[in-house]
Amino acid sequence: MSSPFAINGGACVAMVGKDCVAIACDLRLGLQSLTVSNNFPKIFSYGDVYLGLTGLATDVSTVSDLFRYKVNMYRLREERQISPQTMANLVSTSLYEKRFGPYFVSPVIAGINHKTGKPFICGFDSIGCIDFAKDFIVSGTASDQLFGTCEGLWEPDLEPEDLFETISQALLNAVDRDALSGWGAHVYIIEKDKVTKRLLKGRQD
Amino acid sequence: MLISDEATNGIVLATEKKSSSPLIDPPSLSKVSLVTPNIGMVYSGMGPDYRVLVDKARKVSHTGYKRIYNEYPPTRILVQDVARVMQEATQSGGVRPYGVSLLIAGWDDGVEPETQELADEGLETDAEKKKASGKTGGILKGGPSLYQVDPSGSYFPWKATAIGKSATSAKTFLEKRYKEDLELEDAVHIALLTLKETIEGEMNGETVEIGIVGAPANDLLGYEGVEGAVGPRFRKLSKEVRNSKGMTPFTMK
Amino acid sequence: MRGATILKASDDKTKQLNQNTLMAFSGEAGDTVQFAEYIQANIQLYSMRNDTDLGPSAVANFVRGELARSLRSRKPYNVNLLLGGMDPITKQPHLYWLDYLASLAPLPYAAHGYAQYYCLSILDKHHHPDIDFEQGLKILRMCTDELKRRLPIDFKGMLVKVIDKDGIREIDYDMSKEVLPA
Repeated sequence: MSSPFAINGGACVAMVGKDCVAIACDLRLGLQSLTVSNNFPKIFSYGDVYLGLTGLATDVSTVSDLFRYKVNMYRLREERQISPQTMANLVSTSLYEKRFGPYFVSPVIAGINHKTGKPFICGFDSIGCIDFAKDFIVSGTASDQLFGTCEGLWEPDLEPEDLFETISQALLNAVDRDALSGWGAHVYIIEKDKVTKRLLKGRQD
Repeated sequence: MLISDEATNGIVLATEKKSSSPLIDPPSLSKVSLVTPNIGMVYSGMGPDYRVLVDKARKVSHTGYKRIYNEYPPTRILVQDVARVMQEATQSGGVRPYGVSLLIAGWDDGVEPETQELADEGLETDAEKKKASGKTGGILKGGPSLYQVDPSGSYFPWKATAIGKSATSAKTFLEKRYKEDLELEDAVHIALLTLKETIEGEMNGETVEIGIVGAPANDLLGYEGVEGAVGPRFRKLSKEVRNSKGMTPFTMK
Repeated sequence: MRGATILKASDDKTKQLNQNTLMAFSGEAGDTVQFAEYIQANIQLYSMRNDTDLGPSAVANFVRGELARSLRSRKPYNVNLLLGGMDPITKQPHLYWLDYLASLAPLPYAAHGYAQYYCLSILDKHHHPDIDFEQGLKILRMCTDELKRRLPIDFKGMLVKVIDKDGIREIDYDMSKEVLPA
């Protein structure tokens, strides 16, 4: 219970659909069993790329701020948006820089590659090892539960509307089985030239 | 003296190798260098300074880019990095500026969506492809780009240019010969014609050095059968590099 | 008034950072005042240099940055903070909750330490986004009564400060009345 990953709680999940990807997170911020805030989003956007961060809340803020800086500098230098794949490598190298004093976060990336039009998701451990996946990526204190719901609900080539339903049910039902996650959710459905963000109220108990 | 020429499907860097003595072994002299698989450069000026800059360019392309993003820098980024090295030498104490001008040529893949399903990107006879990259390359569109970097650290993008001795007359010559949508073969031809105008003495494979940025040379990978592996676009066109002496060509992946 | 467990009964654990932001702090004895004064000095320096005050969100993120830097230093500050302020441009009130780990959360109501356990449920029940000042004071009274009733120690009353569009002021807050068991 004193693991830095489990102090504040939180959950995040990303999924691939047909020409679309989805990423969702819960909104809880807690201190052990006490909930402090029910409005602490864990997904951050960097142009075309979305980054979900679960783990120690202070590092969620620190790491999201760090990548805002790094991606802004990338955009200014290169006069282009960063691609999801390049972002994945940037996240990996940045986390490994702190190999012997890591940020206690489990990042998730979702996006569509602007050039190829292909969906891309991946996850990381706290020191930057990339987990490429064709189907879904889970992270946070509800990751065990998310593995279960995702294995049960996900299927290949879901259309955006169906993908929204799938990822929402996967997240909502997983966080209801985790005391440290829940209290509302944000869901992003990312298509080629459209992103839809939805707020799910969820159970507030 | 050294000239360079941009085509729709590549760039050519051509230079004269002048040796002060007939006793020198010409193949051991090299002015055209590979920096990354898709970027090459060549110089005019002081040879030792150039070698230092090649080392720094190769190093910064990894430390400042590939080790961060796991991909090689676009040409403009590499050019800016090299230009920064040269600029800093003009403002630092205890050092002198680099005594070279550089031509840096590279190919960028671009990030904009591919408009037509392109047949093998390497086959440049495609008429549509030619139109698509009618202008010079760049990070967004992709394609070839050519830069000149001066000792001050300033840099300029060119469609065709020359540096070094008799660069002025060579540029006048290029102005007459250069056309939009040249083929790489034509560009090599024009580059050699331009060199010929100013070269003194014999002109052959031992006195001329050519580097091109063209279609990916998968035969230079040193291996085959790996899916998605793409060979380097930059390569030198000289007899000793390819296939002579049964050497295995060294390539970077 | 003083004893083995009480050194001072009227300690002001707040610092005014500029015209429109106030920071309350708790935590380890030496760290709290040291850190609060450091923050106060820097925010005041900003105001003097730029002839303008930072807004509450800018102040909050500055404090978070300093606390996060301290967290990974040899001797981290052990300080928990509440930061309240009126945005000088939008005239909107803001409240930020910051713990010693530099977790930052913008909240409608907040507390630190044991007060969280006693007060948050009361605030959950009675707080609404559109309550006025008098209603707010009434809920605060419910909270302080609850603390007086249930905290195992005598915390010697409350110091109450109000931040509104007119600035920051302390108000009289009588805690002498006996609180009856619930």
